[in-house]
Amino acid sequence: MHLVIISGAARPQPRSNTARIIAAFRQGYEEKGNSAEVWYLSDRRQWQDAKTAFEKNEQILFALPLYVENIPGIMLEFLEQLQPKTIPGTHIAFLLQGGFPEASQSRCCEEYLETLPAQLGCEYAGTLIKGDMFGVSLMGEKTGAKMVAPFAEMGRYFAENGYFDKEKVSSFAAPEYMSDKQIRNFRRFGPVQKLFMNRIAKKLGCKERLDAKPYGTAL
Amino acid sequence: MRLQIVNTLPESDPRAQKAIRTLQGKALECRIVSAYDKKISPCIGCNACWLRTPGICSVKDDYEEILKGYLTYDATVFLAGTALQFVNHRMKNLIDRMLPLATMYIHIPDDQCRHVMRYDRRLQLGLLYAGEADRNYLNQWMDRVMLNFDGVNLGAYPITQAEEVLSCIL
Ligand SMILES: Cc1cc2nc3c(=O)[nH]c(=O)nc-3n(C[C@H](O)[C@H](O)[C@H](O)COP(=O)(O)O)c2cc1C
Repeated sequence: MHLVIISGAARPQPRSNTARIIAAFRQGYEEKGNSAEVWYLSDRRQWQDAKTAFEKNEQILFALPLYVENIPGIMLEFLEQLQPKTIPGTHIAFLLQGGFPEASQSRCCEEYLETLPAQLGCEYAGTLIKGDMFGVSLMGEKTGAKMVAPFAEMGRYFAENGYFDKEKVSSFAAPEYMSDKQIRNFRRFGPVQKLFMNRIAKKLGCKERLDAKPYGTAL
Repeated sequence: MRLQIVNTLPESDPRAQKAIRTLQGKALECRIVSAYDKKISPCIGCNACWLRTPGICSVKDDYEEILKGYLTYDATVFLAGTALQFVNHRMKNLIDRMLPLATMYIHIPDDQCRHVMRYDRRLQLGLLYAGEADRNYLNQWMDRVMLNFDGVNLGAYPITQAEEVLSCIL
């Protein structure tokens, strides 16, 4: 089966977490003789080809980062330009990944994604959810690779089923919420986490406090 | 009450004009931003506003005055077009670009992770939409958006019900 993967990430491919996740997923998907093509909406020169691929193919996967509880603006702009299909048979699935660790953070967006395929004359084939992905491109090559590795298994799963089952997704995306113990630990390590972020920022050339108020300290 | 109105519909749209008149009649002072003709790009996800130049967006276009307006006006009401039963990309870009208002730091104030806000000022945002959309869903989404930015959702209403959006202002 041939799969068209469209990345709805705004970040250019070399720095995009979505792109690295797609690469791992694709590897698993293609293992048993399936094929896939990938288009990146961060590069507007690819939009026409992505549209044509959407029109001509019946298995579509949109991979996207969660942007303020929903689809990134850039992906929404692309979707607005698609002509709804008039011939049935096309399936759209989604791979939704975000920065916060809990699956619950993605549910509002998932609810909207469930309604989208029908509006485009297609059938819904499920949404794969995963949080805690913020660091993929920040944490270095080795850690990043480890973080995205589980997506290969989901690629294999999708190749076999052509659908993301809700239960399977929930166990992949767990935890839905952090447990009380996890929350306590998180709070305990808050100061350490701050130091870690400060260090990353310094490495990136940041000269200000991360909680600076450039528009006014009184605000 | 001082109100910022961000109009993402064409200035000549009679629905927007009527809504603006209604809102003007209710606010002490209004700033109207005609965002339709302005250059407001999508967020490019570079994280500069969190990690390189905290609080400052790296995309240099017409958005910054709106961003400052969230903080200097008591409330902001968006006038938005819709697409695919949701707000359209113009409106979504405005929301995506709010990221500089949050810091990189994360805390768990209730049962979920949230970013620590950069400013103490409590945001109040409302949405008036023109076109077909699922109102319940828009409200639910705005609730979540405001949960993320530790602010108040003034509600999502069809643009013909402009007066409603200020009814629960603090
Ligand atoms: C504008 C913007 C909004 C975001 N909103 C959310 C959010 O609501 N929830 C969340 O868990 N992560 C959010 N994130 C984090 C991204 O989803 C996460 O870092 C993702 O891995 C980025 O993928 P990319 O590198 O392909 O853009 C947001 C990031 C940006 C830049």
